[in-house]
Amino acid sequence: MLLAPSKPFLRNRVKEVIMDLILQATVNGILMGSIYGLTALGLTLIFGVIKVINFAHGSLLMVGMYTAYWLILLTGINPYLALIVVVPLLFFFGYYMQEIVIKPVFKAERDVREPITVIIVTTGVWYVLDNLSLILFGAEYRVVKTSLSGKTFLLGELIVSTPKFYGFVATIVTAVLLYWFLKKTRMGKAIMATSFDRDAASLMGINQYRIYNIAFGIGTATAGVAGCVLIPFYYVFPTVGVIFDIRCFIIVVLGGLGSIHGAVLGGIIIGVIESVFAQFMASTWTEGIIYAIFILILFIKPSGLFGARQDW
Amino acid sequence: MKIGLNRKATNYLLLFLAIIFVFILPLFLKSPTYLQIMILLFFYAYLTTSWNLVGGFAGVLPLGHSAFVGIGAYTSTILYLHYGLSPWIGMFAGGLLAALVGVIIGKPTFQMRGAYFALTTIAIGEGIRVMVENINKIGPFTVNGPRGLLIPLTGTSFVNFQFLSKIPYYYIILTMLIIVLGITYIISRRRIGYYLAGGGEEPEAAQALGVNVAKYKLIAMAISCFLTALAGTFYAQLMLYFYPKGILGLDLSFEIAFIALIGGRGTIAGPILGALVLRPVNEFSRIYLSGFLPGLHLVIFGLILIIVMIYLPRGLQEPLSKVYNWFADKLVASFSFKGAEKG
Amino acid sequence: MTLLEIQDVTKSFGGLKAVDSVNMSIEKGEIFGLIGPNGAGKSTLFNCIAGVYPPTSGSIFFQDQNITGQKPWDISKKRIARTFQLVKPFGSKTVLYNVMVGSFSRTKSPLRARDRALEVLEKLNLADKKNILAKNLTIADRKRLELARALATEPELLLLDEVMAGLRPMEVEEIIVIIKGIRDSGVTIFVIEHIIRAIMALSDRIAVIHFGKKFAEGTPTEVSKDEKVIKAYLGEDYVIA
Repeated sequence: MLLAPSKPFLRNRVKEVIMDLILQATVNGILMGSIYGLTALGLTLIFGVIKVINFAHGSLLMVGMYTAYWLILLTGINPYLALIVVVPLLFFFGYYMQEIVIKPVFKAERDVREPITVIIVTTGVWYVLDNLSLILFGAEYRVVKTSLSGKTFLLGELIVSTPKFYGFVATIVTAVLLYWFLKKTRMGKAIMATSFDRDAASLMGINQYRIYNIAFGIGTATAGVAGCVLIPFYYVFPTVGVIFDIRCFIIVVLGGLGSIHGAVLGGIIIGVIESVFAQFMASTWTEGIIYAIFILILFIKPSGLFGARQDW
Repeated sequence: MKIGLNRKATNYLLLFLAIIFVFILPLFLKSPTYLQIMILLFFYAYLTTSWNLVGGFAGVLPLGHSAFVGIGAYTSTILYLHYGLSPWIGMFAGGLLAALVGVIIGKPTFQMRGAYFALTTIAIGEGIRVMVENINKIGPFTVNGPRGLLIPLTGTSFVNFQFLSKIPYYYIILTMLIIVLGITYIISRRRIGYYLAGGGEEPEAAQALGVNVAKYKLIAMAISCFLTALAGTFYAQLMLYFYPKGILGLDLSFEIAFIALIGGRGTIAGPILGALVLRPVNEFSRIYLSGFLPGLHLVIFGLILIIVMIYLPRGLQEPLSKVYNWFADKLVASFSFKGAEKG
Repeated sequence: MTLLEIQDVTKSFGGLKAVDSVNMSIEKGEIFGLIGPNGAGKSTLFNCIAGVYPPTSGSIFFQDQNITGQKPWDISKKRIARTFQLVKPFGSKTVLYNVMVGSFSRTKSPLRARDRALEVLEKLNLADKKNILAKNLTIADRKRLELARALATEPELLLLDEVMAGLRPMEVEEIIVIIKGIRDSGVTIFVIEHIIRAIMALSDRIAVIHFGKKFAEGTPTEVSKDEKVIKAYLGEDYVIA
């Protein structure tokens, strides 16, 4: 791909172009990556707090996206206003999913060293949700025009996509809010306590199962935020969750279980790698590279960049 | 004189009758569609039983096993297309390769905790699929990327592992299934079975009792991958066509694992029962309902999965074996009674 | 004859010295007791011997062979068996199955493994429970199962880690009798215990460990009169059964 021009002037010019490309790709990668981090925030909370491996996370994101899609299509409101509806809706969806589906299995596996059944159950939810939306909405790729779609602005010489930039901001805001919530509010501290030692927390009067429900609800609500953020520039289709699901797990492992800044930074790393490498090779190879990095992290430092050493 | 049948003899008798039944079934089942359904049923029962050696006995959750199906299919097909090597031989080559790959993957991953292990197998499985989808040729061999490989029709030929009628395929997969079940049964009765079960449940305790848990897990992995790959070749010869998304996909990996889980992992009957219950559901809802509700069979599948896992975590084999036991005991009782009368 | 020789063994976890230059030797045929307050390093020492992790420094000799840092399964093959403080039965399997996992270390034949396992169960009065699933046993029976499993490997040396924790006084009495019976059948026993009365009654010799260091050793009578020991245990929250 790289030409080797004979004249030094041309060589420099080519270098400049490539550098510009890489810079542009990096900026794109940071923005998109932060949004990946946003999608992974909920998962890291759930994975880190309840220690539940929720394979249905991507599907929950998909539900968020479809909800936002229909809301915007029918009422034409700004996607960021749609948050008002989508976030609480997804909170309750997650709350009841934990209560009805996961809790019974979780309880039964309390003393088992490795709660594998939870993985299986959430995969069942994934199948059900994805295929229900296939039946209800059809397989076509949908897109909805919003006030943000397709807009860009110039940052120096770089072209920045407006919706992605808004998404970046939304990620930071959500992450900060989440962090504040966990560290400063009473409910948040209860969640943290339960995640460290659920028996001790329960002895102190914290109803662990209610905490799990709430944590799951919050995790799912975050996916709802991500859904609204993605709608202006991403296609919606029944299996959109699958891609994000695998991405989210990679990000969560990379960033460290339960680490909010880990999820955001992990997402950015993945986003940048994806974006930069895509300039030089087919997207399916970049997918392969991301998987390879994932496997490497699992072998070298499974606790991730910022995670605590887990003994589970 | 009491002519009685004890429970053990009853079990053997019923097993014998069941085997006779499946062997003579093709005489009554002429329709190729139904034969195909039975063939696929045995195929999945075979796959899940092989999976069970690792996922059930060794106590881990491998969710990337389709990779080995693919290795089997691609190896034997490539060797056939390029060198004209009979797929029967290619089948074993594929099996050996799969066993090797399985051991290489298993060595570092078995040290991981359950969830991480599951994630890794998914990543590796998907990684292999992505790789194959992106390669057109490995050296001199055509792999054909996402388009998959097509095996030219040569008419009925045993050497080429191709038959125009479905019936030979039926007997081949049935024999393979019985062999695999036999292997599982033998393993479960011998030291390796005990070591795998103990090592899977409480590795530290097993180690203190002299079990090199990691070694045994790898042995189970090698056997499981070898057997799984054989099925890959079978599938290739049955369909004469396969492609990465189908044969190396996450859907296949998950379906294998979930059938075993719903049936009851770690037991011998579990995977078969799972296949017996779920494959027909899959087939019929796909045939009859997919027309106007695509994907419904997967919704049903998912719901069954959730319900079974909540209420019957040991799988369907738990209540079903109780039913079987009740039935077998009744048989023993009725035979003894007859015997007493004669005496 | 010295069966187990622990030479200058130290085990550090990060900056913490759980076991600090410990020297000990255990004679064949004796019951050797190890006591000390919680966190003194007793289980850590056991884990070093049993191969769970290697000592940071020092050596361990068994029958004059250097076994330092070997893997648990190899140590088991050398005829050293151990039980766990928190029992780890194979819950989903029957009592007989559990013990057979142990007896398979001596024979490959399932029939002989089964016979051997039944013998051991008889000796420990668990034979009538052989078809019960391990997870359905009482804690006392689980401890006996743990013992049976270890015995099925036909060890020369048996490491017992707080096998009496959680047992009622009557059950403690029963176990003492069983342990003595095991010793009489030729097995050397190295016991960690909290219950002073039991360990005094059982042991031929006792060592006392505190903050990872051994600071007393001798017969039960000698040790109970040792001033340092008495001082260390004044005010200690110790179970005197």
